[in-house]
Amino acid sequence: MDSLKQMASEVEELRRIAQNLYDTSDDFPAVNRNAKRILASIQMLRINLEISSF
Amino acid sequence: MEDVRRVPKVEKAMMLSVQSKEPFPYGDALCVPLDEVTEFRQTSGTTGKPVYQPDTWQDWEWWSECWATLLWAQGYRPRDRVFLPFGYNVFVAFWAGHYACEKIGCEVVPGGVLDTQSRILKMKEIRASAMMATPTYVLGMADVAVRKLNLDPSIDLDIKKITCAGEPGALIPATKRRMEQAWGAKVFDHAGATEIGAWGFECEAQPGALHVNEAMFLAEIEDLDSGQPVTEPGQCGKLVITALDRIAQPCIRFDSKDIVELCSERCDCGRTYSLLRGGVLGRADDITKVKGVLLAPAAIEDVVRSIPGLGDEYEVVVEKKGDVDHITLKVEIAEDSPVTPEQLEAHLKTELRLKTNLGYDLQLHSYGVLPRYEVKAKRFKDLRKKSDN
Repeated sequence: MDSLKQMASEVEELRRIAQNLYDTSDDFPAVNRNAKRILASIQMLRINLEISSF
Repeated sequence: MEDVRRVPKVEKAMMLSVQSKEPFPYGDALCVPLDEVTEFRQTSGTTGKPVYQPDTWQDWEWWSECWATLLWAQGYRPRDRVFLPFGYNVFVAFWAGHYACEKIGCEVVPGGVLDTQSRILKMKEIRASAMMATPTYVLGMADVAVRKLNLDPSIDLDIKKITCAGEPGALIPATKRRMEQAWGAKVFDHAGATEIGAWGFECEAQPGALHVNEAMFLAEIEDLDSGQPVTEPGQCGKLVITALDRIAQPCIRFDSKDIVELCSERCDCGRTYSLLRGGVLGRADDITKVKGVLLAPAAIEDVVRSIPGLGDEYEVVVEKKGDVDHITLKVEIAEDSPVTPEQLEAHLKTELRLKTNLGYDLQLHSYGVLPRYEVKAKRFKDLRKKSDN
């Protein structure tokens, strides 16, 4: 259970970093688009770990 | 759950109505800016005009995740070389299966525009270990391999797993048996729809039932007549389903029209998801009253394909003659049939009477006379006016 909590915490950290990359890359399309795709993959990790979006 | 039931249900006809309005092409069913949409698919439109299905990239990741869950449960692993013999086009079909295989780490071989013989030869050449197709096409490919290529797929090819979609069949016992014998492979069912996602799957233990992927879907079963919730095992009902993570065109309380039956047993695989005995037993709009008796096309298929000496194809025509319902069942005699046509007819008549409680006008044809299908086969034709039944 502790390892799941640790994973969830790391996923949220990943999300924070990817979201920040996305939010600050409007003028750098390649980074912006790749960050967007990473965010989609991170959402699947959140589903895997049953992290609530609400 | 009581709160969930206060949300109105959505039906395919409502989606068509919404999409006929502006903004083009999704109407106001689209819940993200159009810029966010990366994928277009559509339903096959077997009931008329197709429903368009927009998805964002995250939705598409989600589709792949649904499929990765089911394929992993069916034993797909990175060592598998998976051949996909389907036309990659506007229909969702096995697209998500393709991306799910990539996600798992399988080697994916797209068999797109090849014809059937080329697909079989390619599978043989590269020693593919798994494939995905409709039950109709699984049987059709085996037939072509034997007749046109002089190959026995159960011996000459290396396919060990087959995942079916698009039609019932992989959980109809006689059809499953025919496919498994023809290919020397385990055949698995899965259930889903363009507007919903891949919500159910048969696992490696082959319990004769579908698991509902309850990590990603909320499944409700309703009584066919009263619409009241069915929560006790053993009673048939209609599946109303919600996809929990779909965003571009959400699927909330979608009336799937799929008839299912909850069962109380636990599966040997260890998953605790709900189990639906026999998978999708029929469609609410397919199961119809003939001569006052409820008739499910799947029951006829199970009888036809359980009789050695009959081919895989069949066609059922229901029509009104005067005031009386009349059912014609057309079947084909296999070229290697071990019995006479008269014996076949007698056997078929007895089994149909036992399993469906109905009498039929039987037509036995030579092999190859009935139409062949690659995708969704239309073998059940009800020619009565809607008001008649």
